[in-house]
Amino acid sequence: MAIWIIFRREITFFLTTPFAYAIAAALLLLTGVLFNYDLNASFSTKPADATLVPTLLSFAMIFFAPLLTMRMFAEERREGTMELLLTAPVNESSIVIGKFLSAWTYFTLVLLITLIYPIILTTITEPDLGMSLSAYIGIWLYGGTTLAVGMVFSSLTENQIVAAFLGMIALLLLWLADQAGQIITNIPIAVVIRLLSFQGHFSSSFAVGLIRLEDVIFFTGITVVMLYITIQIVESQRWR
Amino acid sequence: MIEVTNLTKRFGDRIAVNQLTFQAQAGEVVGLLGPNGAGKTTTMRILTGFMPPSEGTVIIAGHDMVQDSLEARRNVGYLPERVPVYPDMTVREYVLYWARLRGVRTAGKSADDAIARVDLSDRRHTLIRNLSKGMRQRLGFAQALVHNPPVLILDEPTIGIDPKQVIEVRETVRALGKDHTVLFSTHILNEAEQVCDRVIIMNEGKIVAQGKPSELRLNLSPDATLEDVFLNIVNRRKS
Repeated sequence: MAIWIIFRREITFFLTTPFAYAIAAALLLLTGVLFNYDLNASFSTKPADATLVPTLLSFAMIFFAPLLTMRMFAEERREGTMELLLTAPVNESSIVIGKFLSAWTYFTLVLLITLIYPIILTTITEPDLGMSLSAYIGIWLYGGTTLAVGMVFSSLTENQIVAAFLGMIALLLLWLADQAGQIITNIPIAVVIRLLSFQGHFSSSFAVGLIRLEDVIFFTGITVVMLYITIQIVESQRWR
Repeated sequence: MIEVTNLTKRFGDRIAVNQLTFQAQAGEVVGLLGPNGAGKTTTMRILTGFMPPSEGTVIIAGHDMVQDSLEARRNVGYLPERVPVYPDMTVREYVLYWARLRGVRTAGKSADDAIARVDLSDRRHTLIRNLSKGMRQRLGFAQALVHNPPVLILDEPTIGIDPKQVIEVRETVRALGKDHTVLFSTHILNEAEQVCDRVIIMNEGKIVAQGKPSELRLNLSPDATLEDVFLNIVNRRKS
């Protein structure tokens, strides 16, 4: 099964190279420091936030997702292995899906490590674990979507840095549009932005303990569309 | 084994390959000769299924490269001009990866056989980033061979390696020619003469001559070299 072979190659890369560990370390350091801060604050000013890490990640993935996916196609193109992949008896969709699943699996593993924070919370106070779970499910889907966006940009260029940079800009613009949507006074435009923004389908539903079918469909749908675009871009490289 | 009919490839207004027609039989080593930019690499990329032709057909081992692409691709081994590698993989992991992707059932054994065939067995667990250029070239051969394809397409396999390795590569190509159809490109005419049963000379996207090296030489004059044939053809086109 080609998807599985590609997946295995990519996940091995994630689990054996220093780069992937550096990214995981940076993510865990960031979440750890802020968790510590939040925990300290919970003793005096406010209750501890059971959805802290997922909420943080909903912003952090703007920068981490493109870093995780930047090499996926850029490197294959630079090293020339793309030419071998495209002459192997394998469909483009298997290549793209295999790679996506590996990045998502890696993200899932990092996410599982951060479950330590709600577990720590249960030893100190009584956090709303249902809300925590909902936020985790949300960020899991949300993360997958940002990774799929990152892949689109990796398939566009041979240069990893350019791929990461473009991915970050795209995700940041989406995030900023959402921020703008919250203060905008023109209601119809605000509604459209809300409807399309990643944040809009996370912060007011998953992050407050609400798992809605429309949000699940939104993230799954956008992921599928992004993967489809990536497949088309990879296919189009045959023509150049 | 390879049947190419009226193959044409355009990039915008530029015609890279123009109405190419040729065949290669099983067990034949065919050299594709021509100056840089003659359309050799483009031709090979179409034959391996990397890019579709603008017009014409390519049939590999009975399968049309456009209509029945996956099956046709299964029957081709391809060594691009610059050997594509994953520097973070070991030699064995790399060959095994391509064996699996091409659907080889006994991938492990096939990978070990291919590695042995190119004499890299003692480097099986070496990371590719630590291999010399000549070894990478051999690794490229192992990758192209691992699924035991009837057709092998080698794009300038002797470029950029030292003279001793060039001789080894030529011997490898000749040995492969016994049980594979080999199409290999070069612009070193001597090499073509030593290795090939038949040569196809391309210039500006067209076939300008084809035949046995000895025949091509005799057509010009009794003591002409293949080089003379080549220059004669290329210059005649220009004037």
